[in-house]
Amino acid sequence: MRKLIEFIRSTYVAVLFVLLELIALNYYAHSTAYTEARLVARSNQVVGGLQHAVSEVRLFFGLGRRNQALTARIAELEELIAHYEEAATEKRLKATNKSLGASKWRMMAAAVVSNTVGKQHNYIVLNRGRMDNVYGGMAVTTPEGAIAGYVIDCTERYAVAVSILNTAFRASGSIEGSNYYGSIHWEGRSSRFVTLSELPKYANPTPGQRVVTTGFEPYFPQGMLIGTVEEARLDEVGTSYTVKVRLAADLQSMSDLVLIDNLDQLELEDLSRSEAIRELEF
Amino acid sequence: MHRTAPYILLIVLALLQIFLFNNLAISTYFSPLVYLIFLVMLPLETSGIAMLALGLITGMMMDYTMGTAGINTFSTLFVAFFRRNLISLFANREDLRDEGIPSPARMGVLLFWSYAIAMVLLHHTIFFVMESLSWAHFGRTLLRILLSSAGTLCALYLTEQLFTPKLSKHA
Repeated sequence: MRKLIEFIRSTYVAVLFVLLELIALNYYAHSTAYTEARLVARSNQVVGGLQHAVSEVRLFFGLGRRNQALTARIAELEELIAHYEEAATEKRLKATNKSLGASKWRMMAAAVVSNTVGKQHNYIVLNRGRMDNVYGGMAVTTPEGAIAGYVIDCTERYAVAVSILNTAFRASGSIEGSNYYGSIHWEGRSSRFVTLSELPKYANPTPGQRVVTTGFEPYFPQGMLIGTVEEARLDEVGTSYTVKVRLAADLQSMSDLVLIDNLDQLELEDLSRSEAIRELEF
Repeated sequence: MHRTAPYILLIVLALLQIFLFNNLAISTYFSPLVYLIFLVMLPLETSGIAMLALGLITGMMMDYTMGTAGINTFSTLFVAFFRRNLISLFANREDLRDEGIPSPARMGVLLFWSYAIAMVLLHHTIFFVMESLSWAHFGRTLLRILLSSAGTLCALYLTEQLFTPKLSKHA
């Protein structure tokens, strides 16, 4: 008996070590992008306040640059409005306008609380949460309209988005003006490039062409800018291209972002879960 | 002062890690984990179970704030547990009798830095390999390990310069 106690005393640290390592490993093995985002969201409730203060200081020094960007954007939009006003005088457009109905997209501005680019799984924390009607699945874009990620989880006052610089990020993208599409993902290397793979050979991408969203995912509207083609490589079999895409969004210095809400999303989700479709699957 | 210094250091390092280094956007290849310096600088006489507990606390705290599920805990526990073995790997029996906070002045420049580099490299290797979770881009992971370790070691050097002259006088 005494020998047993002696044995336990001499090895309990090692046993405890192995046990703790197993628990950590088990937790890691069962983690997903969602559980990671949940961790970020929870810890943000604790450090969020201070994080926010820090980002506020950073924001202050960027005010001049942001003002310029805003002015440029206003000018751009005014030009668009002028264009529409001109067209609106024509009766023909008045008739089509009526049938368009309300837009299904709702936009909302949000400020970045914290954002990483150095890890393999990067997340963006935004200062909008459930209180502002933010929910998982909303698109996150830069004010210029380039995609940056999508919201995966929120707390009352904050939202966590999967950055496009997250190896778990998936979306589909196509060359602007063509119907061929491939899948967009990040290789975990440079924060300026993502990869568009499995693009059919007929798409024939050339450097400089714009890569846009396809609208297949409910959260990204169709035709949102992802980036431009940097270089394209045909695979060995010669059936599809792997395209290196230069991101339009500068993920390293983001201060304001736009959240896009698809008002039809819940309805679409309901539809995809409908009885008729489920019956078909069985 | 001498007893509480490492714990003050932990708070400073944790704040630096959470608010500076985790938000530092220099490159994908450079993300130093400076909180490890706390474990490197813990007094040599710290018992095995205390090392384990402190490793667990730091690891979990970093997992919580960085959103990395278990990776920090795993790698930090690992180096905390094997710290003593790492030191004895480089030291003679006589050198090991020493107590107090590890420093070049106390342990000798060569021994201290061999121990520190081994600690940081081991920890960063486990962390980044688990984070990338594939051997496919090992060259890339290796570069991340080396650059980030260099960053952490620079931070350790600065910490040494700031803290140890005062501590050795009191000890």
